[in-house]
Amino acid sequence: MPNIQRHRAILLAYLGMIVLLLLTSLVSPGFLAAAHLRSTAVLAAFIGIVALGQTFVIIGGGIDLSVPWVLNAAAVLVTMIARGQNEPLLWAVPLILAAGALVGTVNGLGIAVFGVPPIIMTLAVNVILQGGILVYTGGAPTASAPPAIQFLAVGRIGPLPVVLGIWIVLAVAASILLSKTAFGRYLYAVGTSRTVAEFSGVPTLRTTVLAFTLSGFSAALAGILLTGYSAQAYLGMGDPYLFTSIAAVAIGGASILGGSGHYIGTVAGALVLTILTGLLPALNLSNGALLIVYGAVILVTVSLASETMSDILSILRRPVRSGAGKVRGGEPT
Amino acid sequence: MTASNSRPLESVASRPALHRDALRTALSDRAPFLVACAMALVLIAIYGSLREGVFTLEEINLDTAAAMTLILAATGQTIVLLRGGIDLSIGGVISFGTVLAATKFGDDPARTALWSVLIGLIGFGVGAINGLLITVLKLQPFLVTLATWSIVSGAALLVLPTDGGSLPSTWMAFGTASILGLSTSVWLLVLLCGFWLWFRRTRLGISIRATGSNERSVLLSGVSPLSINVATFGLSGLFAALAALYLTTQTGAGSPTIGKDYILPSVAAAVIGGISLFGGRGGLIGTIIGAFILTIIGNLVFVLSVSSYWQPIVSGVILLVSVLASSIAETSARRSLS
Amino acid sequence: MDVLQAVNITKRYGGITALSDGNFHARAGEVHALLGENGAGKSTFIQILAGAVRPDSGNITIDGAPYRASNTREAQAAGIGAVFQELSLIPDLTVEENIWFRCEPLSSIGTVKAAAMRAATRDLLARYRFPELRVDQELRRLTLADRQLVEIAKALARSPSILILDEATSALASSETEWLLGLAKRLAGDGALVIYISHRLGEVRRIADRVTVFRNGSSVSAYDTAKVDDETIIADMLGRRMDRLYPVRRSTATERVALRVRDLGVHHRLTGVNLDLREGEVLGVAALQGHGQRELFQALFGVSRSQGRVELWGRAMTLRSPRDALAGKAGIALVPEDRRNHGLLISKSVRENLTLSIIARFTRFGFTDAGRERALVAEMVNFLRIKATAEQPVGTLSGGNQQKVIFGKMLLTEARVLLLYDPARGIDVGTKGEIFQLMRDLAAKGYAILFYSSDLAEIVHVADRVAVLRNGRVAAVLDGDGVTERDILRAAMIEREAA
Repeated sequence: MPNIQRHRAILLAYLGMIVLLLLTSLVSPGFLAAAHLRSTAVLAAFIGIVALGQTFVIIGGGIDLSVPWVLNAAAVLVTMIARGQNEPLLWAVPLILAAGALVGTVNGLGIAVFGVPPIIMTLAVNVILQGGILVYTGGAPTASAPPAIQFLAVGRIGPLPVVLGIWIVLAVAASILLSKTAFGRYLYAVGTSRTVAEFSGVPTLRTTVLAFTLSGFSAALAGILLTGYSAQAYLGMGDPYLFTSIAAVAIGGASILGGSGHYIGTVAGALVLTILTGLLPALNLSNGALLIVYGAVILVTVSLASETMSDILSILRRPVRSGAGKVRGGEPT
Repeated sequence: MTASNSRPLESVASRPALHRDALRTALSDRAPFLVACAMALVLIAIYGSLREGVFTLEEINLDTAAAMTLILAATGQTIVLLRGGIDLSIGGVISFGTVLAATKFGDDPARTALWSVLIGLIGFGVGAINGLLITVLKLQPFLVTLATWSIVSGAALLVLPTDGGSLPSTWMAFGTASILGLSTSVWLLVLLCGFWLWFRRTRLGISIRATGSNERSVLLSGVSPLSINVATFGLSGLFAALAALYLTTQTGAGSPTIGKDYILPSVAAAVIGGISLFGGRGGLIGTIIGAFILTIIGNLVFVLSVSSYWQPIVSGVILLVSVLASSIAETSARRSLS
Repeated sequence: MDVLQAVNITKRYGGITALSDGNFHARAGEVHALLGENGAGKSTFIQILAGAVRPDSGNITIDGAPYRASNTREAQAAGIGAVFQELSLIPDLTVEENIWFRCEPLSSIGTVKAAAMRAATRDLLARYRFPELRVDQELRRLTLADRQLVEIAKALARSPSILILDEATSALASSETEWLLGLAKRLAGDGALVIYISHRLGEVRRIADRVTVFRNGSSVSAYDTAKVDDETIIADMLGRRMDRLYPVRRSTATERVALRVRDLGVHHRLTGVNLDLREGEVLGVAALQGHGQRELFQALFGVSRSQGRVELWGRAMTLRSPRDALAGKAGIALVPEDRRNHGLLISKSVRENLTLSIIARFTRFGFTDAGRERALVAEMVNFLRIKATAEQPVGTLSGGNQQKVIFGKMLLTEARVLLLYDPARGIDVGTKGEIFQLMRDLAAKGYAILFYSSDLAEIVHVADRVAVLRNGRVAAVLDGDGVTERDILRAAMIEREAA
C-alpha cells in the first residue's frame, strides 16, 4: 500500500490530534462542547494561516524566518492606516497583502538568484522589518483595529466563525494548489531535488520565488486578522508564530529537507498545537510545561516519521526477507 | 587564460598560472572574513569620529563586556556551523543557565562554584542529547534543536516563571573587576582566543571542520559520526551555558526568556564573520569580529542619537551585505577553477 | 608467495551484481595491472580492498592472514593504501592536513605539531620526488591534477605495503605521469605490491609485471605482461558477446541535419567539437573515461556553459539551461548519466516522474488534467512495458524499469533530438535489448539520437556512425558499417605521434 506509506506522516498527525482530543475530554469534560471546540479552531486558524506559507516554503526545501515581522508589520500598518475606520481598509488591506507578498518575493529572489541560504536571507529581512516597524511606530503603535477586521477575526456567520471560514477557504485553495497545479508539482520536485528539477526543465527559480511570495502573503494576512482578534496591533505579536508555524508544518508530517508534506497535514499540526495550549491550563500546568510538551511532541512526531523509524518498523513487519526492495543505497560505479 | 587552452587536459595542470593566481585565490578565499574586517574598521572609524574617547582602554572594556555574552554563544554556534549544522537550543540553555544561577547560587562560594560547574555540565548534556538524536535518528539539526530549545526553555520557566532571582555580590563583581587596566571580560576574550587557537589545531577540531566539509570522506576514514556530533553539539551547549553564566554577572538576575535573543544573533555574528552555513569554512576570530560589529552598531545608533530602533535595520543590512559578498566570492572562485 | 589473495569476492547492489567471483593473486615486489572495461567490476574490487565497500561474500588474505576492512583506516592498518579517482579528500582542509588526516603528529596538549607536520610533508614529498605542491593551500583551491598528487601523497604517508593506483594518471600531465610510473616501479622494487588500474595499455605495458583482466564482474584471466600481446588483452576485456542483444541495424538517416554543432568548447574539457547529427540517425559517441563526453552531453542539454554554435533543425540555439533545450516541440532531451541524482525524483511516483517535464502542457483552467495525465502515463507505462504501477515510488523499481521511466519522461517532452548518456549501464540484459530496439525504432520514426556508451560493443552494434573523443576533441568519426571495437579503442587510446 504505497499510498498509506507515503501519507503515513500526515495520518499520524491526525491520529495524534484525535488522541489529544480524547485525552482532553477526559481531563476537562467541557472541552468537547461546541463552543470550546469553536474557540480552539479559531485559535488554530491563526497558526494555520501563517503556517500555510511556511508549508509551501518548507516543501520547496526552504524555511521562512521572516514570518514574525511580516505579520507584525502588516498588523501595525493596517491599524495605523485605518485608524479605527472601515473605509480605508478597501485599499489598505490589498496594499498590505501585496506588500507582504513583495517581501516574500524579495526573500525568494535573494535565495534563488544570489544563492543566499534561506535561513540567513529571511533572518536578515526579519530584523530589517522589525527595525523599520519600530522606527515607524516609535515603539508604540496606538490605533485600534477597525470594526470590519474585528468582525473577520471574532465575528460569526451563523454558527461558523468568520476566520474559520477564511481558513477553510484558504486550506482548500492551498491543497488544490499543491495537488492540482503544475506549480504544486514543481514545488515538490524542487524540494526533493533541485538538480533533478533543473534537469527536467522545471522553472526552479520561479517556483522558489513564488513559494516565498505566498509565505509573505499569508503572514501578512494573519497579521491583519490578528489585529481584529486582539482589537489592536502590538509589537512582538508575531514572535510566537515563528516557532508555531514551523512546528505545525513539522508535526503535520513535512520533512524539513523539503519535497514532502501537505497543507492538510499542517492543518492537523496547527490543531495539535492549539489543543495542547488549551489542555495544559486544564491540567493546572504552567507555560513552562507547555513549552516542554511542545518540544516533546515535535521530537516524537519527527522521530516517528524519520527514516530510521520506518526502517525499524519495516524490519519488525518483515523479519525474514532482507534487503529486497530497499530504496536507499548506492549503485556500482 | 594562457595559450595552453588548445590542450585542455594539459592546461588543467599548468603550474605557472597557479602561482600567479595564488594571491587572488588567497584573497577570494578569505573574502567574507576580509569584508567583515573592513566593515568593522569602517564602523569603528565612524564611531571614533563621532565620539571622544573611543580609542581608550575603558571603551574597549565596556564594548567587550557588552559583546561577551553574544561572543560566547556564537562560539558554540560557530563550532556547530563548521560541522554543517545549526543549534537553536542554545536559546533554551542560556535561559536555563541564568535562572539556575539566579536561584541556586546563594551566598556560599562553594555552592556557587558547584552550581557553575553543574550549569556547564547541563549545557553540555543538552548538546550531547542533540548530537545523539541527530545521529541515531538521522534527524535534521534544525528540528531537533528547535524541539530541545522549547523543552529547555520550558524547564527554565518552571524554575523561575519571571525575571528575577539574585546573584551573590562577589559573582557580580567579576564582571566589573579589572586586572592591569583590562576588565575581566577582556581577559576572558583573550582566554577564548587562546582556547580557539588550541582547539582548531586539535584532532577533534580538524575533524569537526572536515565533517562539515565532506562528511563521507570523514566517515570513510573511520571516524564515528556519533562522537563528532556529540562533541560538536555538546561544546555548543557548554558555551551557551558559559554565556549564561557570564550574562548573570552583567544583569545580576535570571531570565527564563532572555536566551531567545541570542539564537539568531549568534548565527548572524558567525555568518558576518565569514562562517559558511554549508560547513567547513571560517573561524572563531571572524565570529568575534561579527559579534563586535553587531555590538558597535548599537553604540553607533546611540551616539548618532537616532532611535535605537535603527539598530536591527543596520544589523540586517550588514548581514545581507556580508552573506552576498561571500556568495559572490564563492561563485567567482568556482568559475575561475572549473 | 602471494602477498594478496582474493577468492570468490562477490558484491551486489540491490538487484545488480557488480562483482561475482572476483579472484586475484598478487606478489610482493610487483606492479600488477588490473584491466577491464568500465563496469567490469574492477572498481568495486579495489573499493573492497580499500575498505570503502564491504563484500557480500568471499575471502581475502594478506600475508596469509584473513583480511576484512570496514573503513579506510582499517585498510591502512593492514598496509593497504588506495588512490581513488573519486577523491577521498576534504576540500576545506589544507594539503598537509589532508595528507595526515587522523594521523597528525600531536603535541602534549593535543594540538597538531605544525612544524613537525610541515617537515614530515616536505620529507615525504622529497622522498618520492613529488612535483611541486603548495602544502599550505586549502585543497579546494587546487587543480584536479594537484589534488590527485595529494591523494597519492596521502596514501604514501601511511607507508603502505600494498598501494592501489586507480586511474591515477588520468588527471595528470605527461611529466607527472612519467613521475608516477617511475614511482610505481621504484615502490615495487622496494618490495611493495603496486596494483595499477589504467585504461592506457601503453602505461601498463611499461610498468606492469603482470596483468589481471576483469570482465562483466569477474576476473577472467591473468598473464605475465611480457608474455602476452595487446590483442589478447583487448580480446579478454571484450569477450564474446551475445549478439542477439542487439537489434538489426538498418540506417534510417535522412539528409536533414537535426543538430549541427560547430566549434563547441567547454572550459578546459572540450575543444572545437564539430558534429552533424541527422534526422533518423543514431550517432555513437565513444571515449575512455573523462575525455569530454560528459561535458559534450551537458553542454548540448544546457547544463554546462559552453562556447560555439549549436543549430537545431537549422535554427541557432542558445543553451543556457535544460529549459532552453526542452523548450517547445522537437527540442533536445537527455537521458542523464546519473539516474538517481539527475534523472529521477526517487521518492516520487512513476506518474509524477513521467509527467514532471510536461505537467504545464496539460493544465485546464490552470489545473492539471488528472484524467489526461493518467491516460498519458498509462500509455507510456504500456508502451515501454514498465513493470510498475503508476503510483509506485520509482525508488522501488529495478534499475531497468527506472531507466524506462526516464525514457518515458523524455519521450513525453516530444523532443526529437535525444541525448542518451550510457542508457544501458547497470541494467539487466533483457531491458538492455528492449532499450536498443527502442532506439532503432525511434530513429526510424525520425528521431535523431546522440548515444554515448561506456560499453563499446553497444556502440558498434547500435550506432550508424561513431564519433571518438580523445582529450576533449573529436579524434575520429568512424562509419558504423564494419567498425569494430578494436578500431574504436585504438582511436580512443592511442595518441597520435605528432603532439
